[in-house]
Amino acid sequence: MAAAEPGVGVAPPAEEPGSGPLCAVPLRLARLPLARVKALVKADPDVSLASQEAVFVLARATELFVETIAKDAYVYAQQGKRKTLQRKDLDNAIEAIDEFAFLEGTLD
Amino acid sequence: MASSSGNDDDLTIPRAAINKMIKETLPNVRVANDARELVVNCCTEFIHLISSEANEICNKSEKKTISPEHVIQALESLGFGSYISEVKEVLQECKTVALKRRKASSRLENLGIPEEELLRQQQELFAKARQQQAELAQQEWLQMQQAAQQAQLAAASASASNQAGSSQDEDEEDDI
Repeated sequence: MAAAEPGVGVAPPAEEPGSGPLCAVPLRLARLPLARVKALVKADPDVSLASQEAVFVLARATELFVETIAKDAYVYAQQGKRKTLQRKDLDNAIEAIDEFAFLEGTLD
Repeated sequence: MASSSGNDDDLTIPRAAINKMIKETLPNVRVANDARELVVNCCTEFIHLISSEANEICNKSEKKTISPEHVIQALESLGFGSYISEVKEVLQECKTVALKRRKASSRLENLGIPEEELLRQQQELFAKARQQQAELAQQEWLQMQQAAQQAQLAAASASASNQAGSSQDEDEEDDI
């Protein structure tokens, strides 16, 4: 399964939000597997169902998150004159940036 | 790697997808494995963070299902407002694609072939297929029968020649 999951569905979007196949999204935009994002949302028992479009918006936001944190961490690698991004660069970014405070204590 | 044991708490975004995104963001940069692993786990945390907040926002509205607007508000309130314009662009495309497909399917319905005619064609195809299946089955049955008959004949002649051989031997011995 894993990365083989495409972000493109072929069936028409269901009228019932949260059920049915996921809406077809332009392939270039869906790098994260939407089904997996949806599964992660559902894994939280307190969270209600999310519509297909909500899952899609969340997936896109997550992609932006990855881009942002990677770039922010890379600044520290450059300061250390390294060409390899290391775990400590991410730790530094997490500590320095307010929005990433929720990540403190996230283990790998 | 997908976990086949079905434990929801081990869910993450697949490593390969993360690797690809990192590569596109930082081409020509090497990334340590433990750094990649951390990014994978940060994604999971991010998704939980945003969906929890969106859930709260949804609960306060009169809606039962989390909408894209709820997610957008969650991004704003958690300090990720800078993501909103790009996220909105892509939401717009999603709606456009959905609209196009709805139009396309209604155009297909109006191709001009009345429904009764389509039904009739379908029945014809089914009948043809059934007939072909029946003929195929019959052929296979005949072949099986022939093969069985040949096997019987072969077995019969084999045992017949065996009997003839052994009686000859006995005669020779007596003569000596």
